[in-house]
Amino acid sequence: MKVVLSYLKPYKWFALIALGLMLLELVAELAQPIIIAKIIDEGIVLKDFHVIFLWGCMLIGIASLAFLCGIVNTYFAAHAAQSFALDLRNALFRKIQSFSMTTFLKYPTSSLITRLTNDVQQVQSILFMSLRIMIRAPLAVVLSLVMVFFVNAKMAMILMIGTPILTIFLYIIVKNGSLLFGQVQRRMDRVNRALQESLQAIYLVKAYMRNAYETEKFNRIAEDLKLDTMKALRMMELMMPIMSFVLNVSLLLAIWYGAREVSMNEAQVGELVAVVNYALRITGYFGMFAFILNGFTRAKASSERMAEILVMEEGLEEEKSGTETPKEEFGTVRFKGVSFKYPNTKKLVLQDISFEVKQGEKLAIMGTTGSGKTTLLSLIPRFYEPSKGEIVVNGRNISDWSLKDLRNMIGYVPQKALLFTGSIENNVKWGKRMAEHREVVAATTKAQIHDTILNFPEQYKTRVGQKGVNLSGGQKQRLSIARAIIRKPQILILDDSTSALDVKTEAALWDALKDTEATMLVVTQKIHTAKGADRIVLLDEGKIVAIGTHDELMKSSKLYQQIASTQEEQVGDE
Amino acid sequence: MMEMFKKPFGYEPILTKEDLRNAEKKHKGPRASDWKRTLLRIWKLVDEQRGLLIAVFIMVIISSIAGLLGPFLMGYIIDHFVIPKEFQRMVPMIGVLIGVYIVYAVTLFMQNYWMVGIAQTTVYRMRTGAFKHLLKLPISYFDKRQHGEIMSRLTNDIETVSATLNTSFIQVFSSLLTLAGTIIVMLYLSPSLTLITMIVIPLMFIAMRWITKRTSKLFKAQQEALGDLNGMIEETISGQSIVKAFSQEDHVKQDFYMKSKRLKNVGFWALVYSGYIPKVFNFLNNMSFAIIAGIGGIFAYYGWVTIGTIVIFTEYARQFTRPLNDLANQINTVLSAIAGAERVFSIMDEEIEEDRGNLPDDYLIRGEVEFRNVSFKYESKNKSDTLHNLNFRVQPGQTVALVGPTGAGKTTTMLLIARFYDANSGEILIDGKNIRDYKRQTLRRQMAFVLQDPFLFEASVRENIRYGRLDATDEEVVDAAKKANAHDFIMKLPKGYDTVLKADGSEISQGQKQLLSIARAFLANPAILLLDEATSSIDTVTEKKIQEALEELMKGRTSFVIAHRLNTVRHADIVFVMKDGRIAESGSQQELIEKDGIYANMLKQSKGGGV
Repeated sequence: MKVVLSYLKPYKWFALIALGLMLLELVAELAQPIIIAKIIDEGIVLKDFHVIFLWGCMLIGIASLAFLCGIVNTYFAAHAAQSFALDLRNALFRKIQSFSMTTFLKYPTSSLITRLTNDVQQVQSILFMSLRIMIRAPLAVVLSLVMVFFVNAKMAMILMIGTPILTIFLYIIVKNGSLLFGQVQRRMDRVNRALQESLQAIYLVKAYMRNAYETEKFNRIAEDLKLDTMKALRMMELMMPIMSFVLNVSLLLAIWYGAREVSMNEAQVGELVAVVNYALRITGYFGMFAFILNGFTRAKASSERMAEILVMEEGLEEEKSGTETPKEEFGTVRFKGVSFKYPNTKKLVLQDISFEVKQGEKLAIMGTTGSGKTTLLSLIPRFYEPSKGEIVVNGRNISDWSLKDLRNMIGYVPQKALLFTGSIENNVKWGKRMAEHREVVAATTKAQIHDTILNFPEQYKTRVGQKGVNLSGGQKQRLSIARAIIRKPQILILDDSTSALDVKTEAALWDALKDTEATMLVVTQKIHTAKGADRIVLLDEGKIVAIGTHDELMKSSKLYQQIASTQEEQVGDE
Repeated sequence: MMEMFKKPFGYEPILTKEDLRNAEKKHKGPRASDWKRTLLRIWKLVDEQRGLLIAVFIMVIISSIAGLLGPFLMGYIIDHFVIPKEFQRMVPMIGVLIGVYIVYAVTLFMQNYWMVGIAQTTVYRMRTGAFKHLLKLPISYFDKRQHGEIMSRLTNDIETVSATLNTSFIQVFSSLLTLAGTIIVMLYLSPSLTLITMIVIPLMFIAMRWITKRTSKLFKAQQEALGDLNGMIEETISGQSIVKAFSQEDHVKQDFYMKSKRLKNVGFWALVYSGYIPKVFNFLNNMSFAIIAGIGGIFAYYGWVTIGTIVIFTEYARQFTRPLNDLANQINTVLSAIAGAERVFSIMDEEIEEDRGNLPDDYLIRGEVEFRNVSFKYESKNKSDTLHNLNFRVQPGQTVALVGPTGAGKTTTMLLIARFYDANSGEILIDGKNIRDYKRQTLRRQMAFVLQDPFLFEASVRENIRYGRLDATDEEVVDAAKKANAHDFIMKLPKGYDTVLKADGSEISQGQKQLLSIARAFLANPAILLLDEATSSIDTVTEKKIQEALEELMKGRTSFVIAHRLNTVRHADIVFVMKDGRIAESGSQQELIEKDGIYANMLKQSKGGGV
């Protein structure tokens, strides 16, 4: 709660003013009965028309003042609550952006989404409510109690007999309630996850006609959410009946006691009536009181979930200030005895990998499915840290580079062409924000997609759906390549990114890339792509089994021969 | 300092006068009926639990009575026992009173207990109903929308309904009860003063209209902004590796900030305008006090009413306006719920995929596929057709290779065969019958589709394979995995077939995903097999191993295979070379080689290799 509330600090003055205005409004309201009494006593009873008019106007004046306070309070409270929410969301998002990939594996997207929207909304709305009505109820309760003490201290003591029990009871409810609401929010994560999964898999769901299956799965998850929500809310609903029951019974005791006092002439009947009146007023505020506690409990649960992210210090990407590129090893990538396993797993995915690529060279990486090719590439932009060994880029260990500088040298084309909602132009510019249209065209031309784009009705302004749904596989891959080469990277990483391209297009692409100075690391399945490389690294089960040129490997490596034979066979067929 | 405090008043207005005027013009009537319709739909869902609902209403009535009875009995005790000092007779009364308190506490709890049940069940039905409907929507619906935006409708928007149902229902009902009671008592005391008190009602009505006209729009805008933000978050975080690879953190932060700020701005105005309601009502109440005191004073002056009546009246006026206040506050939450519900219902109002096939469900497909003058274009790319006048006929059991440059329409052709989309013109015939005559269920049950982009669920490997046929036994699953050459790597996973795959699928490679996806198809036992780049990420050695199994699988089934590696399709009976949405060449491999056209050229290139 503390962590999250600290984001209110910049707006504390707005919040305080809102609270002040609320008090003012309350005072104005309380003044009313006094004025009405005055009108009756001095105006109506004495038949003084002037007094009626004067105090009548006063009444209107005070009502207007209260109204003004209320309206201004609304603006201040809304400003404080919304600004607080904005800052909170931003802080969360910034923190999430600094997560390392390892941390991302721990927090599913869906859970982060819930925290950024639903949880923030929960806290924000209770804050707004608090700034407008919160103190009203507790204040009224406390004031009424104080008045009871003034009227008759002994009866007041009896009235408060249940307070310790109630306090403990409320404490337990809030504590358990916030645990339960925490569970509700986690269920919400699950709902989000299930939704996201079904949406991502929509083609598959439809292809296998799994509507019923998916619906049933979703129903179960929604049912869990329902049950837990019910549990939490019902728990909170205990508050109001028990509070009023305890108070009512205490009141009876007080009356019993008071009646005895009255009978012994130690108290006045009027005192008794006053006590009863105040006690009834207190119960009247219990509804609001319970409502506030309910909101507070919920906000507490959400706050804890957000604080978990906000205070996180481990699992973030470290920020190092950039340093000059040593010129002598410009564009060199060197692996020295690198081993790697994914966090929380035992199996080494890469073992003792060593190789070197120099500027302008093209290294092909081949190997069987699951042999660690993609993992190897993902170590270069430091998505993950090697468990052993070191990776040197431009003559400097990559852990000494600032992430930004390191990644700005790299053009990365992932295996799965991931595009974002927006125009084609913007998707390419994602690689270089400030690029001019000319540069975009140059990149797309090299990536062999320019002509295709021109055939689209809106050309470069054509909107790409989420994940590029409305483009063909090959189009996505080529856009993804264009996005990488527009950066004019020193190191170009292509993770099997030409698999959906036909031979002709692919050949043209490699041709166009020939004159770049970039060092290229290319994962491929195709021998003819590998042939064009300066060297080939052959992986098997995370180890390098062979390294050399096509011709060398054709002679030395059994596995390579085998791969080649599966692709050359057709020659024999004819 | 002063500058700072001007901030709350410096928000850029969201609603312009023009907006409001337009809204008035366009919606004169229908807007109100839109609300009514939405409310009615929510009510219908709530009403499905009528039994409980009635129980809640009864509880509300009892608790209201008990709530009134408590103070009344208390007064009775004071008047009749305390003042006359008759303690002994007090005891039974206290017993009664405790009974009343117990009844009050219990009915209060029960009404809320049941209401929570009703509310959450309603919410559950809304959520699952919307989800069920969502899955029936045509693919084009999903093409147009961000996932996060749709997700927001089923989470954030439904939450507004949930929050409202939990509290507002009981509130509204008990407010109405109190209101009715108070009015009766007031009328009994003084009809003329009652009328005067009621003067504020038209004013309240006008104020309410003024405010709700704004809030209803703002709430909707707020939910939209939230959905937009949700969409952006989902997409960005799902694509985090790209954000990182391109060091675009600052940019997405900026992007997020803009969307978040838009939400703040809309949210601010929604809070402000909805915050007006209690304030305005308070003001009107206070004014009515002044009126009662003033006019009552004049009445008393002339001796038309007694002073006592005025005193009681001011008290009742307060009683009268409190439930009105409560109602006004509830209108706010109800409006926000309507805004949320509308967005949920809009999913349910989307037209589902037309599925009016009249062929029997158990119709067995042999596998003849024919395209007659089929043309097709995607909604989003509205200039040129993706497929032009496609004509072909494939006999049952034949294997067809679709080759050609990317964007030629190969995947689209497959999507049309599985009826993900309907052709714009021409007909697609399966076994000589129009594809529209089949129910989708009938059609797809007899097809297996291995998609370009394999997807795995966050579930065990076993369940993921079983997705191909839900009633498959464990042995069949293992068998399918063996055929797809996935068994070996599965056994190396920490828990074998029971390994639960992560959402991001980080433990297994893209190629392995494809293997699992193929295993699914092996389980399905289809008449028509559609393989779209099913082995593109698999190394050729492994591919060769599955190739034989695949060929076995294709035997006796009509198969369409897309592959860029021509080796993959060398066993095809027919090859269609597609280009720009047309079939440029077709025939057996041998025919095409002899023809020495595009295909022959492609073959040469792939063999010539080199870069």
